[in-house]
Amino acid sequence: MDRYTDSNWNWDFYEELVDDVDENKNIIQCISCGKCVGFCPAKIVSNFNIRKIITKVLRGDRSVLKDADIWHCYLCERCVRVCPKEGINIPLLIINLRNESFKKGYGPRYNDLRKYVEMSERFLTNGTVLEDPLDGGLSPERIEELNEICNFARINYVFKASRNKIKEKKKKNHNFNPN
Amino acid sequence: MQAINLALNLDEIERNFPENPLDYFRGKRLCLFKACLERYFPGVRWGLQDLLEELELKTLFCANQSCCSGTFFQRNLITRAQFAAINERNLSEMNQLADIVLFSCNGCYNSLLRGREFLKNPEVKRKTAEILNILKEKRIKTNYPNKYEIVENFSLKLVHDLDFLYLIRNNVLNSLKFDLKGLKVAIHYGCHYLNLSRDKRNVETYLKDKTKLDELISLFGGHPIDYQERESCCGWGASQILINPRSALEITYNKLKSAESVGADFLVTPCPTCLYTLSKPEYREKMNNWFGKKLDIPTIHLNELIAILRGCEEERCITLRRKTPRLEEIFEIITKE
Repeated sequence: MDRYTDSNWNWDFYEELVDDVDENKNIIQCISCGKCVGFCPAKIVSNFNIRKIITKVLRGDRSVLKDADIWHCYLCERCVRVCPKEGINIPLLIINLRNESFKKGYGPRYNDLRKYVEMSERFLTNGTVLEDPLDGGLSPERIEELNEICNFARINYVFKASRNKIKEKKKKNHNFNPN
Repeated sequence: MQAINLALNLDEIERNFPENPLDYFRGKRLCLFKACLERYFPGVRWGLQDLLEELELKTLFCANQSCCSGTFFQRNLITRAQFAAINERNLSEMNQLADIVLFSCNGCYNSLLRGREFLKNPEVKRKTAEILNILKEKRIKTNYPNKYEIVENFSLKLVHDLDFLYLIRNNVLNSLKFDLKGLKVAIHYGCHYLNLSRDKRNVETYLKDKTKLDELISLFGGHPIDYQERESCCGWGASQILINPRSALEITYNKLKSAESVGADFLVTPCPTCLYTLSKPEYREKMNNWFGKKLDIPTIHLNELIAILRGCEEERCITLRRKTPRLEEIFEIITKE
C-alpha cells in the first residue's frame, strides 16, 4: 500500500473534481472506516478498493486516473447504503473519475468499447439497446430528438467510429480483392 | 423545483386507503415502462398487464418512450445533462398519457429517478434546459405544446412493480389459482432496488432490511430461504459482465451456488436485467467451464411467477427466449392440481 505523510496533502485535484461535480465535495468527510470496501462486490473479484481511491484523490495523486481499478466498479450503490457518513456518493465519484480519465486519454480505447458499439447504434436508430424491440422502434422525429440530445456525446463518437471502421474494413477488403 | 422526487408515496396510499389500496389506482391511467430486457422475457410485461386488466385497471404503453439510457450514462458515454435531457423527454411523453408509471426493471426505475435527482444541481439543470432548447430551435416536429421544457411539477408518479404488487397484495392473492406448495425460494432483490435511496422518504426505510419480496413469497405459499449471497450483486454490474466477463461471472456463480447449496427450488427477482444475467444459458455454460460446477437452479421474474400462479398458459407467462434450466419443472409442480 502507498505510504503518505502529512506533507502529501494536496487539494488541487479534489477541487477540480468538485468543480466538475459539486456533489463530490462530501468525500472530504470520509473517515476511512472501510465499510464500503467490506461490502463491495468488485473488491471480491478485482483490486478495486474505494478507500484507496478516495485517499489518492484527497492526496492529489492523479495516478488514480490511469488505474484500471476505477473501471471495475459495479455501480451497485451498496457503498452508499453502508457508508456511515451522509452524502458521500461513491458511484458518482467513480463516474467523475472515469470522465476525467477519458478526457486525459487514459480511458478505454475503441476496442474496449466494442460491446457498446451495437447498443449505441440501436439507441440512436431505434431508441432501444436491443434489436427487434417488442413494440418496434421510435418514429423518425423522436429518433431525431435523441440524436440531437446526444450530438456531442461519446456515444455518438462510438457510433460514428464503428461506421468509419466498417467503411475502412470494406475499403481494405475491396483493395485486397484480386477480382 | 417542487417535484424532484416523482416516486409514488406508498405510505400515504396505505394511510388513505387502509381497506383496499387498489382503490387509489381505480380510474388512473397506468403506463407500463418498456424495459429493453423484456424483449428476452415477454412474460414479464405481459404477466403484469394481464393481472392489471383482470383487476380492471387502465393500462397503456407510451409509443414515444425511449430506453432509459442508464447503460450509456454508467459507461460515461453521455453526460449527466444529456442523461437528464433523455429522461425529461421520456417523462414529458409519459406525462401526456398517464398518471402513474410502473417499472419491471430496477435499472430503469433507478434511471428515471436519478435523471430527476441530477436536476437538483443548478449547473446540470441549466445545461439540460439548454439541450432541450436546442431541440425547440431545431423545430423538430412536436406532438404537443411546451414539450422541450423542464416541467417543474409533473403530476406523473413512478412506482416499482414490486412496491406496487406488495401494496395490492391481497388483490393479487385473490386472483391466484395455485400456490407455491411450500417450495423453497431464494430471493434476489437486485442492487438497484436493495440499495436505492432515491425513492425513500426517510433514512430508516432506506437502511432497514428489504422484506417485501420475502413477504409476497410467503403469502403465495412458498418458503423464502436464507442464503449467504442474498444481498450480493447478480454480476451484471453496469455491464461489467460484458467488459470483464470472468470476474463478473464469478459473482454470478457465487450467488447461484449459494442459493443451490441451501436447497432453493428456484430463485425469484423483480428485475429482468438480473434475470438475464442469472439465467442466460451461455453464462451458465461459461461458469461451468471456468469454475467447474454445473448450476441448474431455475430463475424467474416476479411478474412471470404471478402469471403462473394465476393459472395463465405456460406459453404466455414463461415464453423465455433464453430458457432457464428446469423452469418447466417448476411450472409443472406449481400448476399440478
